[in-house]
Amino acid sequence: MLSAQERAHVAQVWDLIAGHEAAFGAELLLRLFTVYPSTKTYFKHLGVCPDEAQLLTHGQRVLEAVGVAVQHTDHLRAALSPLADLHAQVLRVDPANFPQLIQCFHVMLASHLQGEFTVQMQAAWDKFLTEVAVVLTEKYR
Amino acid sequence: MDAGQVEKAQSLGLLTGTDSLCPAVLFSPLRLLVVYPWTQRFFQSFGDLSSADAIMGNSKVKAHGKKVLNSFSDGLKNIDDLKGAFAKLSELHCDKLHVDPENFRLLGNVLVCVLAHHFGHEFNPQVQAAFQKVVAGVANALAHKYH
Repeated sequence: MLSAQERAHVAQVWDLIAGHEAAFGAELLLRLFTVYPSTKTYFKHLGVCPDEAQLLTHGQRVLEAVGVAVQHTDHLRAALSPLADLHAQVLRVDPANFPQLIQCFHVMLASHLQGEFTVQMQAAWDKFLTEVAVVLTEKYR
Repeated sequence: MDAGQVEKAQSLGLLTGTDSLCPAVLFSPLRLLVVYPWTQRFFQSFGDLSSADAIMGNSKVKAHGKKVLNSFSDGLKNIDDLKGAFAKLSELHCDKLHVDPENFRLLGNVLVCVLAHHFGHEFNPQVQAAFQKVVAGVANALAHKYH
């Protein structure tokens, strides 16, 4: 449950990303695969060394979904229900991987935005993404 | 860690003594308490932790943070034997301080974020990977003597 202040911080973070979903998404995936190579097991279709075009395409998809979540922080379950179904029935990404993705997100934002990505924004963004991860994995059983 | 990764870690100036510790790094423990507020449980006697601003300005936390990071960088001088380097500290954290090792992983992650803040675009995926390995190694070493 995000407070009003936290929702404001989440919106602030999203404003800094919006319009660049493909680029940020691609970098997010590249960091994830480089830092946590076991996560590549969920992306066999991208091959052993995904090329830039593949990262941009898939990265955009991931970040657009985050954008949907940002617009619906009040009712994440409803907004992300189809994605939750997909993760439960098809993708079945082990829940332990989501904190790794979230860490890469923070590092990416910190390296791009530096001082603009304040500690309050990081705290709110972490809480928000953790909630998204819970919603995406709660239909698993 | 392989030689290339150690080089990358060293080149970013983290593996140095107190005076040359990148000042930005000193903010990591403060940020830990803001981003993961349950970690404040170890610092009840440290004064005002009621808001992000209070935490970031808290001199007791900052001083303790400096102590923690000095131990971190001292231990890293023995990067080939982290378990040996952190053995005593591991016993202390288990037997006296009763700190869940998950906290070491959280601090490591926050430290990596602070480095990313500081170094910006230079902190590319490969550099992040090297540092995540280093902080994971330290976290494991600190957890090693738990029983």
